[in-house]
Amino acid sequence: MAYLISEEAQELLGAVKEFCEKEVKEQCKEYDRSGEWPKEIYDKAIEMQLHMLEVPEEYGGMGLSRVDVAALFEEMAKADAGFATTISASGLGTKPVLIAGSEELKKRACQLIVDGGFGAFCLTEPGAGSDASAGKTTAVKDGDSYILNGRKCFITNGGIASFYCVTAMTDKSAGVKGMSMFFVEAGTPGLSTGHEEDKMGIRTSNTCDVVFEDCRIPASNLIGAEGKGFSIAMKTLDQARTWMGCVATGIAQRAMEEAIAYGKERIQFGKPVLKNQALQFKVADMAIKIETARQMVAHSLTLMDQGLPYSKESAIAKCYASDIAMEVASEAIQMFGGYGYSREYPVEKLLRDAKIFQIFEGTNEVQRIVVANNTIGKF
Amino acid sequence: MDWGNRKDILVFLEQKDGKALNGALECLTPARALAQHTGGQVLAVLMGTDNAGAAEKVAPLADGVLAVTGGDYSDGAADAFTWALEQLAAQYEPAAVLAGNTPLGREMTARLCARLGLGSVQDATALTWDGDTPVWTVPLYGGTVLNDVVVDTLPVVATTRSGAFAKPEAGQAGPVTPVELQVPADAVKVKVAQAVKELSEAVNLEEAKVIVTGGRGMGSKEQFALVEELAALLGGVVGATRPAIEDGWVSRAHQVGQSGKIVAPALYIACGVSGATQHVSGMSGSGYVVAINKDEDAPIFDVADVGIVGDVAKVLPLMIEEIRQRKAE
Amino acid sequence: MEILVCLKQVPDDSVELHLKPGTQEVNLEGVTPVVNAFDTYALEMATRLKEAVGGSITAITIGPEGAKDAVKTCLAVGANQGCLITDPSFEGADTLGKSKILAAAIRKLEADAGKPFDLIFCGREATDKASGQVGPQLAEALGVGVVTDLVDIQQTDAGVQAKQETEEGYRLVDAPLPCVVTVNKPPYDPRYPTIKSKLAARKMPIPTLDAAALGGVAPGAAGSHVVKVYEPAKRQAGVKLKEETCEETVAKAIAMMADAKVL
Repeated sequence: MAYLISEEAQELLGAVKEFCEKEVKEQCKEYDRSGEWPKEIYDKAIEMQLHMLEVPEEYGGMGLSRVDVAALFEEMAKADAGFATTISASGLGTKPVLIAGSEELKKRACQLIVDGGFGAFCLTEPGAGSDASAGKTTAVKDGDSYILNGRKCFITNGGIASFYCVTAMTDKSAGVKGMSMFFVEAGTPGLSTGHEEDKMGIRTSNTCDVVFEDCRIPASNLIGAEGKGFSIAMKTLDQARTWMGCVATGIAQRAMEEAIAYGKERIQFGKPVLKNQALQFKVADMAIKIETARQMVAHSLTLMDQGLPYSKESAIAKCYASDIAMEVASEAIQMFGGYGYSREYPVEKLLRDAKIFQIFEGTNEVQRIVVANNTIGKF
Repeated sequence: MDWGNRKDILVFLEQKDGKALNGALECLTPARALAQHTGGQVLAVLMGTDNAGAAEKVAPLADGVLAVTGGDYSDGAADAFTWALEQLAAQYEPAAVLAGNTPLGREMTARLCARLGLGSVQDATALTWDGDTPVWTVPLYGGTVLNDVVVDTLPVVATTRSGAFAKPEAGQAGPVTPVELQVPADAVKVKVAQAVKELSEAVNLEEAKVIVTGGRGMGSKEQFALVEELAALLGGVVGATRPAIEDGWVSRAHQVGQSGKIVAPALYIACGVSGATQHVSGMSGSGYVVAINKDEDAPIFDVADVGIVGDVAKVLPLMIEEIRQRKAE
Repeated sequence: MEILVCLKQVPDDSVELHLKPGTQEVNLEGVTPVVNAFDTYALEMATRLKEAVGGSITAITIGPEGAKDAVKTCLAVGANQGCLITDPSFEGADTLGKSKILAAAIRKLEADAGKPFDLIFCGREATDKASGQVGPQLAEALGVGVVTDLVDIQQTDAGVQAKQETEEGYRLVDAPLPCVVTVNKPPYDPRYPTIKSKLAARKMPIPTLDAAALGGVAPGAAGSHVVKVYEPAKRQAGVKLKEETCEETVAKAIAMMADAKVL
């Protein structure tokens, strides 16, 4: 069972699948080794407009429902999770503007994407991971400008983005209420990128430090109002994490498909290993988990599309999908036997790719806090 | 099959540099079989500015040669060739018109059929008989399915696949009849402005006894040199699959397969070739097939007499060394 | 330049096709219909030409209702409009019959638009039957020139100059307009549709033309018939060697080749 999507999305899915099969899947194997950001693949994806699926129709997007977009994202994730992460992280980087930005900023950010750019979301700092309120980056108002100083780390798309949505303290004494959100375009003097992470997985995505040294931006680049940064960041993550669940589901789906294909081909004791019920049950468990994850993603996205509360569902989708992606990838390796552990075969990469989905955009421990709070309530 | 008054078989022989192409000469073999049923003659048709050299070589292979001159029958002049073939078909009322399945052979016969309202077969790989009726075998879907087809119109028009039929044995030389056909201006619509030779090497895959083919699995132009080395050592010809050619490791004159040459050497060695249908259909007539591929499940192993599961970069140097030693002994 | 591209819907040629066991019927179950690869090259070449010199591209196909998908696919990657030529009486038409139908459709489209097509593109052959007949036969039916096996095309003062691939290089062939060209694999790949062009193509109407609309055109009796459909005899797979070391494997293989006297 796939996502229930519109007829037009069905057609798009065919085109995206063909693109991913021909231009992404095999090519990314080499980039997974080198760790190089595959610009030529992204250029082709941009040409096909795969990078702007989340741009709202009124700002030059396509007007697809979120569930439709999810089906396309899953196809990209199946080909390469790093590829899907880059594109999804660009959506994450745009959300603060779309949630709270001025009309002018919305137009600007979306135009940058339509023109072939990516966005990046800058919240995490060396001393502020799950505790985002511990951020040390500052923004000081100076006439018609703000001046930003500080260092962000683990920023997806940090080195390749056209714009950044950055949290910074405008009032250090006020705690999270002193945090604000800013829109910074690439190329602004004082903005630079630092250390690039050599990652375990999703190696076709770029992750690096983003540094602000007396970085002066127009005051109109404040997103929302001063002091609203933390709230905007939390709303951003609330939405974005479902998409991470979607990408993680794609990884799991790929792992299952690889395991089935191999299980049908691999002959031991004179028959395909998948003839063994023990392995059939493994596949059944994979399918149960993947389908549940996918429908949780779909449910959360439908709530968003209908304007209903979705915080809990989004957290469940991300947490569950990433947990099962790890389980399914691990079981897929098991079904491959010794070959599964070899880098010549495709499944070990899936395990490496899956792990980060339990960590970024709120660790799964944080997700459980969100689910618990939303379930138990205040007492 | 009721041939009416039609008896003779016209075979269009495409020429290059004053020589008839091999694929065209092979076409004389099914022509002979047809002539035996119709009681007619095999007439080889040469068209060119000077057919003398080719006519002399062809005469012993046919009952007669029609050497057509008198117009611009230069390389690539498809309009003139088509027009002249139409005239000959009217004049000789043949039972069949055959040509090799080259781009020119295909185009000319297609246009002849359009002008005369005929059916035809293309790329025939075999000719069998249902009583007196010729039945042509043609490949479909890249060669995984075959159709046996009967052409219902006369003359029977067919093009044959290069390598599918053996060249006929030489016999007594038939007479060479010069035919003067002035091409009218309105028969020529397009004109060759320039012909450019890019590939100087002569690659004779069709007649090679040994072919060593490299595929995508060779990995690089440098590694592809191993294929060339082994071919040279065995006195064979280098073949290639489409990916190897598209990556620029070797010129397209070396392509074996559906869109390249159909080959049938005594020994065929496939190196780093996966074995896609498009390729296999072009080499499955080979005598002895050796395949080297690191993917144990590569479909090329299904058609190989000996399959070597291993990395070409390791296997080929060892093979070359081993064969060199054997030769030295 | 007014350009027409003729296309054919064929079974996905990346799938190996076989007969249903015990029958003479090709098993097309689960095989997606796609636009013939050479026709996609033709459309890409036509689109590049249109982008260089201006104009409009019309894509047409003969086939059942489902072949509209093939036209739709082309509308997302360069064609400006398209139409489906369909009629129960067209089924079973041979290449000659198809070229007649296409010629009638071209005349009809030209009359409706009030302007003739300058250039008609076809693929060099379809990946299913690979006969390569329809392009040249269409040219004959229209009474215009034809250049086959193109890998490039350029507009000239007198018409077009086509780069035709040959065994050892290429020819440059001058053709006045209108003419028919058939396209081989050019040195570039067909473009992917953009998401927006794909969505837009979906909404475009694809009119149909039947025999009556084409003045009662009939393909005529086919000039040949199939008497048998079967699969070629398979080569027997031999042995697959994978010894402990590469050296052992090679030694064993060479010994076998020597035994078979092929060295």
